[in-house]
Amino acid sequence: MRGRTVTGIVAAAGAIGLALSGCGSSTPPSAGPSAPVVDPASAKGASGSLSICGGRDSVGLYKGAVDAFMKANPGISAKYTVLGATTDESRTQAIQRLQAKSSECDMYLTDVTWTPEFASQGWLQDMTKVTDAVKDTLIPSTVATTQYKGKSWATPFYTNAGLIYYAKDKVAKPETWQQLYAEAAKSPDNGLVYQGKQYEGLTVNFLELLYSAGGNVIDDQGNIKIDSPETRKVLDFMAQGIKNGSADRAVLTYEENASRLAYESGKFGYERNWPNVYGQLNATPLKGTFGVAPLPSFDGNSNGSGVLGGWNLAISAYASNPAAAVAFVNFESTPEWQKHVAMDYSQAPAGEAAYSDPGVLDKMPFAKELLISVKGAKPRPVSPVYSQISAAINKNVYAVLSGTSNTEDAVKNMADQIKTAQASF
Amino acid sequence: MTVRSLVTERHGNTRDRAERRLAGFMTAPSLILMALVAAVPIGYAIWLSLNQYSLLQVGLSRFVGLGNYVDALAGPDWWRAFGQTFLFAGTSVALEMVLGTGMAMLLNLTFRGRALLRTVVLVPYAIITVVSAITWQTMFDPTTGFVPQILAALHLPGAGVVWLGEQGYAMAVIVMADVWKTTPFAALIILAGLQSISQETYEAAELDGASRWKTFAHVTLPLLRPAIVLAAIFRTLDALRIFDLPFVLTHGANGTQSMSMLAYTQLNENRLVGQGSALSILTFITVMVVSAVYIRFGGGNIRDIAREDRS
Amino acid sequence: MSTLTAERASTHGAESLGTRKSRRSTTSLHPLVWVFAVVVMGFSLLPFYWLVSTSLKKGASLGQGELFPSQPTLDNYLSVFGNSDFLLAMRNSVIIAVVTTIIALVFAAFAAYALARLKMRRKALILTLILSVTTFPAIAIAAPLFAIWREIGLYDTLVGLIIPKLTFALPLAIYTLTSFFRDIPRELEESAYVDGATPFQAFSRVILPLAIPGLATTAILVFISVWNEFLLAVTLTSSPAARPVPVAIAFFNGMSEFDVPLGRISAASVIVTIPLIILVLICQKRIVAGMTAGAVKG
Repeated sequence: MRGRTVTGIVAAAGAIGLALSGCGSSTPPSAGPSAPVVDPASAKGASGSLSICGGRDSVGLYKGAVDAFMKANPGISAKYTVLGATTDESRTQAIQRLQAKSSECDMYLTDVTWTPEFASQGWLQDMTKVTDAVKDTLIPSTVATTQYKGKSWATPFYTNAGLIYYAKDKVAKPETWQQLYAEAAKSPDNGLVYQGKQYEGLTVNFLELLYSAGGNVIDDQGNIKIDSPETRKVLDFMAQGIKNGSADRAVLTYEENASRLAYESGKFGYERNWPNVYGQLNATPLKGTFGVAPLPSFDGNSNGSGVLGGWNLAISAYASNPAAAVAFVNFESTPEWQKHVAMDYSQAPAGEAAYSDPGVLDKMPFAKELLISVKGAKPRPVSPVYSQISAAINKNVYAVLSGTSNTEDAVKNMADQIKTAQASF
Repeated sequence: MTVRSLVTERHGNTRDRAERRLAGFMTAPSLILMALVAAVPIGYAIWLSLNQYSLLQVGLSRFVGLGNYVDALAGPDWWRAFGQTFLFAGTSVALEMVLGTGMAMLLNLTFRGRALLRTVVLVPYAIITVVSAITWQTMFDPTTGFVPQILAALHLPGAGVVWLGEQGYAMAVIVMADVWKTTPFAALIILAGLQSISQETYEAAELDGASRWKTFAHVTLPLLRPAIVLAAIFRTLDALRIFDLPFVLTHGANGTQSMSMLAYTQLNENRLVGQGSALSILTFITVMVVSAVYIRFGGGNIRDIAREDRS
Repeated sequence: MSTLTAERASTHGAESLGTRKSRRSTTSLHPLVWVFAVVVMGFSLLPFYWLVSTSLKKGASLGQGELFPSQPTLDNYLSVFGNSDFLLAMRNSVIIAVVTTIIALVFAAFAAYALARLKMRRKALILTLILSVTTFPAIAIAAPLFAIWREIGLYDTLVGLIIPKLTFALPLAIYTLTSFFRDIPRELEESAYVDGATPFQAFSRVILPLAIPGLATTAILVFISVWNEFLLAVTLTSSPAARPVPVAIAFFNGMSEFDVPLGRISAASVIVTIPLIILVLICQKRIVAGMTAGAVKG
């Protein structure tokens, strides 16, 4: 008897759950084209509390920015909340809050690839006017990462671009990828390390070569361009590199941290990594023995082209204090603050002027090379289904690199899988 | 029907009813808690799996019934993950049962330092799963790990191989890491089972002239059956749902993608909530079926209890 | 329950303890057993040793792959102990794990006794439902739980973590204890009934004391599983005040967004293993304390 009662309770709870979830589909927030437009003027006289949410504050930049902002705007009390330990975790946590329409966060620190996805779900406010007001001082490629369907949905905070670190006493400064691989093959100690594990980092590494070769994944209209001779050339090139030892097969297991540690062991000649590695390299016995170069070109055809990293600031559609959020954006996009981003926190600023500032050059001697990389960078495929596209790319590239698939099949698979992704309901 | 049996029946019925009432009260707290906390989220997840939610248009969703399940079962991804997960689980659990029984027998011996050995053996189980995954990753790192160096120095098989970058080898690392971490769990349960076998049982077997091996095979093992089945059920449950190890070590490459990873990718990375929920539920069904098979054919106390309904 | 039965139980207990010579005295151990013991210890400890060794390394030495760090340093441990968020997380984890384990033992012991001993309808169904709670993939319920917890205000609280962790730890506890209770011979309870005890008294005065090894084993398993659980912990907390240790370790800051602070993570993991080791040292005695009276099986 008791068993029956309990079964009844469980069934009832399940039914209630189903009913509640049915009631959950409320009126959808304003979709992309009709999202609330943020007025830059609203920042005047902003007050109250501001909540900014994002990833780990590894170098203290976010706390520093919030503190400096509060000093300059005594009427606003701002706080920064860490959402997740990794970029993916932060995205999951941000999405959870946005789907629950929570006003816990007025402003989100968004990775550059999230813009189309968040915008198309109506989670962000239209920041075109705000970004237009400040974009003269910002590097155009960084502004491009905030744009989707002709509008701007965020304002750049800081950026990131790949660099090549090379052991000056062993190898020459690379002008082209071909030269780099040739030098690397000359001796096991000259090898190249990059991020070749089957994850987003491999997509970035692959795209850096693909863009340099003049190839593309999808164009502005969304047409699939990846089935091209450039893609095949790059895939063959990368696979050959692993076969002949230019890149140690170990790269198939490396993400950013592991590749940095491998290079720090001194057993390699080249490393493709982000700028943050510079400071850590200088703390090892390798200090003074390595040089920094921008990403090389492919075949000497055009300038090397990379992929942008970095973070933007976006205002939540459910923000309770958007005016204060605009005030923060106005604050952090000033050339003055962008200088601090580089000098005090060693991050790549989105503001162009900072790269030629003597104080910055002192802290980051490779600022010129970095600026070249940032300016030449193109955005990763702009699409709300970016994560599926990236998975299609890195899975198939990995298959070619590890030898489980040939180039032709991989290219066809990539094109098919991207087509399926774009057809997502 | 005699008067006596009528009386016994009524007497028995009152006793039975009291027992059932008591049983109800004793199981109620657990069942009510589980119903309150788990029922709504589980019900919601089931509901989600019957729909598709638009990625391109806000708020748009459509009811597809079992459509997500059909799509999943029709494509190669699910079955590949299914096979790879079963390969992992089968190898892992088998090793854990054998090693776990061995460990339990070892820990059952009386010798000085037994307490220390018991504690030492449990240390791997106490380490956080993600940290243990990172540890094994750095152990096998081709440049900075010590295992490749030792293998190369001793010319052992597997030297010069990038373990986490090769088919088969990657699975081997994941199995090793899982066995290392969770054999103590099985050993603990089997040890407690061993403890319940009395000395007299062994003495009787010795008196009958049984050799040590015969005693183990024909006396100890059958008596250990409930403990081994219990350990196997829970280890298999966890092994079939493995996520952290393949995610950290290989991100699913080289033949190591598990069913849980597939569900996670669809659910969290691609935000295909309907499909991801369906994949989660398919995983759930798989695990429940395997558990049922275990209980039915493995025997032990749980099966006995489940069969009581029939009497 | 009359004193006679109690005496009988304890005498038998004492007897079995008395006759409990070493199963195989150490002198007659096969050398292969010693080899096996050494191999087991080595296999268990080597990766843990690597963890400890990593925790003593800093900076560039993390990339050298040495088994014995050439420049061992305690900086990682100092840094971890100086991290107030981490210490807070230790406190949270201890509270959550202790409370959850105690309540789980109580709830599960009751349920297990009913399942193992008492007449009840639909046992198979109940066992299935219980198992399905623990089997259902946590990632599928994380998002709904998040939404519900926010609604009812349990988000980012210790209580809000204890309740679901308890729920998902119960099945393991119930199944384990059910199996253990089943092994206890019925004669003991029956003699208690003969002496006029109610079923509940039989449970609390006869079965429970004899089930201490099972309870100790379950306590260890539940404690460790609750301590190490990550997904619910990260979903249902957002501030250091409620975060338990696995999440706090994941949130350790590196030198950049890509940096994984291996040294500090290892140090924290080693530190965190200590309470668990203490718990096991306490409980492992109970696992082997003399169990049932007389011949149990065979």
